[in-house]
Amino acid sequence: MTERVIPPNAHSLIGLNPDACTSCMICVRECPVWCIDLASHTHEVTEEGARRPKVVHVLDEFTIDFGACMFCGICVDVCPFDALAWSSGLDQSAHSAGGLVHGIDQLVKWFPASGS
Amino acid sequence: MTSARHYSVPGVPGLAVGVLDIGLACCSLEIAAAVTAGLLVPAEAGAADSSILLVSGTVTDAMAPAVMAAWNDLSEPRRGVSFGACANTGGPYWDAPTVLKGIDQVIPIEVYVPGCPPRPEALIAGLTELAAR
Repeated sequence: MTERVIPPNAHSLIGLNPDACTSCMICVRECPVWCIDLASHTHEVTEEGARRPKVVHVLDEFTIDFGACMFCGICVDVCPFDALAWSSGLDQSAHSAGGLVHGIDQLVKWFPASGS
Repeated sequence: MTSARHYSVPGVPGLAVGVLDIGLACCSLEIAAAVTAGLLVPAEAGAADSSILLVSGTVTDAMAPAVMAAWNDLSEPRRGVSFGACANTGGPYWDAPTVLKGIDQVIPIEVYVPGCPPRPEALIAGLTELAAR
Protein backbone atom coordinates (compact mmCIF):
# COMPACT_ATOMS: atom_id res chain seq x y z
CA MET A 1 0.00 0.00 0.00
CA THR A 2 1.44 3.33 -1.07
CA GLU A 3 1.60 6.04 1.55
CA ARG A 4 -0.66 8.84 0.38
CA VAL A 5 -0.01 12.37 1.56
CA ILE A 6 -2.59 15.09 1.05
CA PRO A 7 -0.67 18.15 -0.18
CA PRO A 8 -0.91 21.17 2.16
CA ASN A 9 -2.32 23.34 -0.62
CA ALA A 10 -5.11 20.87 -1.35
CA HIS A 11 -8.66 22.21 -1.51
CA SER A 12 -10.07 20.78 1.68
CA LEU A 13 -11.70 23.20 4.12
CA ILE A 14 -12.70 26.85 3.86
CA GLY A 15 -12.30 29.08 6.91
CA LEU A 16 -13.75 32.51 7.57
CA ASN A 17 -12.34 35.49 9.41
CA PRO A 18 -15.52 37.41 10.33
CA ASP A 19 -13.52 40.46 11.45
CA ALA A 20 -12.11 40.87 7.93
CA CYS A 21 -15.46 40.24 6.21
CA THR A 22 -17.25 43.41 5.12
CA SER A 23 -20.44 41.61 3.98
CA CYS A 24 -19.73 42.80 0.43
CA MET A 25 -21.49 39.69 -0.95
CA ILE A 26 -18.93 39.14 -3.72
CA CYS A 27 -18.29 35.52 -2.63
CA VAL A 28 -22.02 34.84 -2.41
CA ARG A 29 -22.63 36.13 -5.92
CA GLU A 30 -19.58 34.47 -7.48
CA CYS A 31 -20.20 31.02 -5.97
CA PRO A 32 -21.15 28.75 -8.91
CA VAL A 33 -23.45 26.63 -6.75
CA TRP A 34 -24.80 29.40 -4.51
CA CYS A 35 -23.83 27.48 -1.39
CA ILE A 36 -22.89 30.57 0.67
CA ASP A 37 -25.52 32.32 2.73
CA LEU A 38 -24.76 35.71 4.23
CA ALA A 39 -26.87 38.00 6.38
CA SER A 40 -25.82 41.43 7.61
CA HIS A 41 -27.25 44.69 8.85
CA THR A 42 -25.97 48.24 8.66
CA HIS A 43 -25.55 50.81 11.31
CA GLU A 44 -24.38 54.41 11.19
CA VAL A 45 -21.20 55.56 12.86
CA THR A 46 -20.70 59.28 13.32
CA GLU A 47 -17.07 60.20 13.60
CA GLU A 48 -16.03 63.51 15.03
CA GLY A 49 -15.46 66.12 12.33
CA ALA A 50 -17.02 63.93 9.63
CA ARG A 51 -19.39 65.61 7.21
CA ARG A 52 -21.86 62.74 7.32
CA PRO A 53 -22.30 59.51 9.25
CA LYS A 54 -20.49 56.45 7.95
CA VAL A 55 -22.58 53.36 7.16
CA VAL A 56 -20.94 50.19 8.49
CA HIS A 57 -22.01 46.67 7.61
CA VAL A 58 -22.17 44.20 10.46
CA LEU A 59 -21.99 40.49 9.66
CA ASP A 60 -24.81 38.53 11.31
CA GLU A 61 -24.70 35.14 9.64
CA PHE A 62 -22.35 33.40 7.24
CA THR A 63 -22.97 29.78 6.32
CA ILE A 64 -21.39 27.51 3.74
CA ASP A 65 -23.32 24.43 2.67
CA PHE A 66 -20.52 21.93 2.19
CA GLY A 67 -23.09 19.47 0.92
CA ALA A 68 -23.30 21.52 -2.25
CA CYS A 69 -19.84 23.16 -2.18
CA MET A 70 -17.58 22.18 -5.09
CA PHE A 71 -14.44 23.25 -3.21
CA CYS A 72 -13.50 25.25 -6.31
CA GLY A 73 -12.09 28.12 -4.24
CA ILE A 74 -13.62 30.93 -6.29
CA CYS A 75 -14.91 32.51 -3.06
CA VAL A 76 -11.40 32.39 -1.59
CA ASP A 77 -9.95 33.94 -4.75
CA VAL A 78 -12.47 36.75 -5.16
CA CYS A 79 -12.58 37.91 -1.52
CA PRO A 80 -10.99 41.39 -1.59
CA PHE A 81 -10.32 41.29 2.15
CA ASP A 82 -8.82 37.78 2.50
CA ALA A 83 -11.64 36.89 4.85
CA LEU A 84 -11.89 33.40 3.35
CA ALA A 85 -8.95 31.01 3.28
CA TRP A 86 -8.11 27.37 2.69
CA SER A 87 -7.38 25.28 5.71
CA SER A 88 -5.78 21.86 5.94
CA GLY A 89 -7.78 18.88 7.10
CA LEU A 90 -10.54 16.78 5.68
CA ASP A 91 -14.11 17.98 5.69
CA GLN A 92 -16.04 15.63 7.94
CA SER A 93 -18.95 13.53 6.87
CA ALA A 94 -22.32 14.18 8.47
CA HIS A 95 -25.35 12.12 9.39
CA SER A 96 -27.75 14.52 7.70
CA ALA A 97 -27.51 16.80 4.70
CA GLY A 98 -28.08 19.73 7.07
CA GLY A 99 -25.09 18.61 9.13
CA LEU A 100 -22.84 19.75 6.30
CA VAL A 101 -24.02 23.36 6.65
CA HIS A 102 -21.48 25.21 8.76
CA GLY A 103 -21.88 28.69 10.23
CA ILE A 104 -19.51 31.32 11.59
CA ASP A 105 -18.73 29.38 14.79
CA GLN A 106 -17.26 26.47 12.85
CA LEU A 107 -15.78 28.46 9.96
CA VAL A 108 -13.76 30.61 12.37
CA LYS A 109 -12.05 27.49 13.70
CA TRP A 110 -11.05 26.55 10.16
CA PHE A 111 -9.53 29.94 9.38
CA PRO A 112 -5.76 29.42 9.42
CA ALA A 113 -3.81 31.33 12.07
CA SER A 114 -2.15 34.49 10.75
CA GLY A 115 1.17 33.99 9.03
CA SER A 116 0.25 30.65 7.54
CA MET B 1 -27.26 -3.36 -12.45
CA THR B 2 -23.84 -4.54 -11.30
CA SER B 3 -23.58 -6.80 -8.27
CA ALA B 4 -22.05 -5.72 -4.98
CA ARG B 5 -18.29 -5.84 -4.52
CA HIS B 6 -16.78 -6.75 -1.17
CA TYR B 7 -14.00 -4.80 0.48
CA SER B 8 -12.13 -4.63 3.74
CA VAL B 9 -10.98 -1.23 4.89
CA PRO B 10 -7.39 -1.28 6.27
CA GLY B 11 -7.98 2.09 7.97
CA VAL B 12 -10.95 0.71 9.88
CA PRO B 13 -10.05 -2.66 11.43
CA GLY B 14 -12.92 -5.07 11.57
CA LEU B 15 -14.99 -3.31 8.96
CA ALA B 16 -15.90 -5.39 5.98
CA VAL B 17 -18.29 -3.87 3.54
CA GLY B 18 -20.25 -5.11 0.63
CA VAL B 19 -20.49 -2.10 -1.59
CA LEU B 20 -22.87 -1.67 -4.44
CA ASP B 21 -21.22 1.29 -6.02
CA ILE B 22 -23.58 3.26 -8.19
CA GLY B 23 -21.28 5.60 -10.02
CA LEU B 24 -23.44 7.99 -11.98
CA ALA B 25 -20.81 10.64 -12.61
CA CYS B 26 -17.21 11.65 -12.00
CA CYS B 27 -17.24 10.88 -8.24
CA SER B 28 -17.05 7.16 -9.00
CA LEU B 29 -13.45 7.68 -10.15
CA GLU B 30 -12.53 8.49 -6.55
CA ILE B 31 -13.85 5.13 -5.42
CA ALA B 32 -11.65 3.48 -8.03
CA ALA B 33 -8.82 5.67 -6.73
CA ALA B 34 -9.47 4.43 -3.19
CA VAL B 35 -9.10 0.85 -4.40
CA THR B 36 -5.95 1.67 -6.41
CA ALA B 37 -4.41 3.42 -3.40
CA GLY B 38 -5.14 0.43 -1.19
CA LEU B 39 -7.59 2.31 1.02
CA LEU B 40 -10.23 -0.25 0.05
CA VAL B 41 -9.02 -3.83 -0.35
CA PRO B 42 -11.10 -6.34 -2.30
CA ALA B 43 -12.21 -9.09 0.07
CA GLU B 44 -14.06 -12.38 0.01
CA ALA B 45 -17.81 -12.17 -0.23
CA GLY B 46 -19.71 -13.07 2.91
CA ALA B 47 -17.45 -11.31 5.39
CA ALA B 48 -19.51 -8.15 5.31
CA ASP B 49 -21.62 -7.15 8.32
CA SER B 50 -23.97 -5.10 6.21
CA SER B 51 -24.57 -4.10 2.64
CA ILE B 52 -23.78 -0.55 1.76
CA LEU B 53 -25.29 1.29 -1.15
CA LEU B 54 -22.74 3.91 -2.07
CA VAL B 55 -24.38 6.47 -4.30
CA SER B 56 -22.04 8.85 -6.05
CA GLY B 57 -22.87 11.24 -8.81
CA THR B 58 -25.77 13.17 -10.19
CA VAL B 59 -29.09 11.39 -9.78
CA THR B 60 -31.49 12.47 -12.49
CA ASP B 61 -35.22 11.84 -12.30
CA ALA B 62 -34.73 9.26 -15.05
CA MET B 63 -32.10 7.37 -13.00
CA ALA B 64 -33.89 7.60 -9.64
CA PRO B 65 -36.07 4.48 -10.19
CA ALA B 66 -32.90 2.45 -10.98
CA VAL B 67 -31.25 3.63 -7.75
CA MET B 68 -34.42 2.80 -5.79
CA ALA B 69 -34.53 -0.65 -7.41
CA ALA B 70 -30.89 -1.25 -6.44
CA TRP B 71 -31.74 -0.25 -2.86
CA ASN B 72 -34.76 -2.54 -2.74
CA ASP B 73 -32.72 -5.46 -4.12
CA LEU B 74 -30.04 -5.03 -1.46
CA SER B 75 -30.16 -7.62 1.32
CA GLU B 76 -30.74 -6.54 4.91
CA PRO B 77 -29.06 -5.10 6.90
CA ARG B 78 -28.43 -2.35 4.38
CA ARG B 79 -27.13 1.15 4.79
CA GLY B 80 -27.02 4.11 2.45
CA VAL B 81 -24.03 6.37 1.93
CA SER B 82 -24.16 9.50 -0.17
CA PHE B 83 -20.80 10.40 -1.73
CA GLY B 84 -20.19 13.84 -3.21
CA ALA B 85 -22.07 17.08 -3.72
CA CYS B 86 -24.47 15.77 -6.38
CA ALA B 87 -25.69 12.86 -4.28
CA ASN B 88 -25.79 15.04 -1.15
CA THR B 89 -27.81 17.98 -2.39
CA GLY B 90 -27.83 17.95 -6.17
CA GLY B 91 -24.52 19.83 -6.13
CA PRO B 92 -23.99 22.23 -9.01
CA TYR B 93 -27.21 20.95 -10.59
CA TRP B 94 -29.52 21.60 -7.65
CA ASP B 95 -31.61 24.05 -9.67
CA ALA B 96 -31.97 21.74 -12.66
CA PRO B 97 -35.58 20.53 -12.99
CA THR B 98 -34.51 16.98 -13.89
CA VAL B 99 -32.05 16.40 -11.03
CA LEU B 100 -32.84 15.08 -7.54
CA LYS B 101 -31.99 17.52 -4.77
CA GLY B 102 -30.09 14.80 -2.99
CA ILE B 103 -30.44 11.04 -3.12
CA ASP B 104 -32.01 11.15 0.38
CA GLN B 105 -35.22 12.19 -1.35
CA VAL B 106 -35.68 8.56 -2.44
CA ILE B 107 -33.58 6.31 -0.18
CA PRO B 108 -32.52 6.65 3.48
CA ILE B 109 -28.95 7.89 3.87
CA GLU B 110 -26.88 7.50 7.05
CA VAL B 111 -23.67 9.26 6.07
CA TYR B 112 -23.12 12.20 3.73
CA VAL B 113 -19.58 12.66 2.42
CA PRO B 114 -18.90 16.22 1.25
CA GLY B 115 -16.69 17.11 -1.70
CA CYS B 116 -16.79 17.61 -5.45
CA PRO B 117 -15.45 15.02 -5.69
CA PRO B 118 -14.47 13.96 -2.16
CA ARG B 119 -10.95 12.57 -1.75
CA PRO B 120 -10.58 8.79 -1.40
CA GLU B 121 -9.57 9.56 2.21
CA ALA B 122 -12.93 11.27 2.69
CA LEU B 123 -14.64 8.04 1.64
CA ILE B 124 -12.69 6.15 4.31
CA ALA B 125 -13.58 8.86 6.86
CA GLY B 126 -17.23 8.45 5.88
CA LEU B 127 -17.10 4.66 6.22
CA THR B 128 -15.38 5.08 9.60
CA GLU B 129 -18.24 7.37 10.60
CA LEU B 130 -20.72 4.75 9.42
CA ALA B 131 -18.97 1.96 11.35
CA ALA B 132 -18.95 4.09 14.51
CA ARG B 133 -22.69 4.60 14.39
